[in-house]
Amino acid sequence: MAEKHKPAPMVEEVSEFEVLEIAVRELAIEKGLFTAEDHQRWTEYMHTLGPLPAARLVAKAWLDPEFKKLAVEDGVKASLEVGIDWVNSMPTQFGTPSDYCNLRVLEDTPKLKHVVVCTLCSCYPRPILGQSPEWYRTPNYRRRLVRWPRQVLAEFGLQLPDDVEVRVEDSNQKSRFIVLPVRPEGTEGWSEDQLAEIVTRDCLIGVAMPKPGQTANDPRPVRPAVNPYHH
Amino acid sequence: MSSSVRYKVMKHLEIVKQLQPSLHYETHAPAPDQIDNEHYRAYTRMSHDVGGEPDVPITWEEKEEEVWEHNTFVTCEVLAWRGVWNAEERRRRQNVDVGQTQYLGLPYYGRWLLTAARILVDKQYITVTELSDKIDEVRKRYE
Repeated sequence: MAEKHKPAPMVEEVSEFEVLEIAVRELAIEKGLFTAEDHQRWTEYMHTLGPLPAARLVAKAWLDPEFKKLAVEDGVKASLEVGIDWVNSMPTQFGTPSDYCNLRVLEDTPKLKHVVVCTLCSCYPRPILGQSPEWYRTPNYRRRLVRWPRQVLAEFGLQLPDDVEVRVEDSNQKSRFIVLPVRPEGTEGWSEDQLAEIVTRDCLIGVAMPKPGQTANDPRPVRPAVNPYHH
Repeated sequence: MSSSVRYKVMKHLEIVKQLQPSLHYETHAPAPDQIDNEHYRAYTRMSHDVGGEPDVPITWEEKEEEVWEHNTFVTCEVLAWRGVWNAEERRRRQNVDVGQTQYLGLPYYGRWLLTAARILVDKQYITVTELSDKIDEVRKRYE
């Protein structure tokens, strides 16, 4: 599969996508629709994004029952405590155009597991979790997760007993979700920093559960880019 | 899901699955009495409405981002920041208006990019000629 999609070797040909991207961006700047500086500022904003604030929100909720209550009741307000302002965020000062400002924090229990999808699109809580992974955007994940959640979770390495209810939350243009997993055993007495380290992006989407000693997503094949963007 | 709803959903998916091959049937522009409500619903299904459709397991992959993919995302957001479109309009255009073939056939950000080009033309910020001239000019830089 990966082989099939590789560009033919030896031929150094620019792709139509690369050409069109440059053309659209330059025309928009020439026509005064936005400035090169606007584009640069947005790129710099993108560089600040990642799963860390959401991981910190979970760690805080594990340590502080009052904060957990706030997180579940008002995810946007709780986000402020980890430095994410959904409403007045940079660079627009009115939030991002595509993410709006309704974050729901889904609390797992030992008998209830949440997992997030966006069946219609690829809606994702970017301001607090960064860009979505490629697999989250695939029609395959979006097709199957809502009908066969246990099977899909098992493919991600998460085997859930029958007595654990699975709840799939379907994102939309206005509502975004992160999962607040159950704090795992073996983390007693840990600091917020230590706890945040084991809350990976996959845990926050809901396809993994935090484990002491695991500070990265499960390893998966990485499809290389022809002309990779370096973050 | 109740069994009757399940039956209806599965039947809907069964018809949707057949739409593309039906190009080979004598179904082009049927008379009103030749199309039942189930087929009407299948034909008016949005191409992005894939939740619940059957599919086979695939290998879950991470992916490196292309430079053009990053720039396309930023361009689309900045166009919204500066009022050229909003996110609802962007989504409708890149998820629905592109049609089934491009929706399933192009890369994720390929749809974003095509849609960004089309919004500039549709809202008359640029002409098609300006776009094609610019594309030619950019391509020459790589020759």
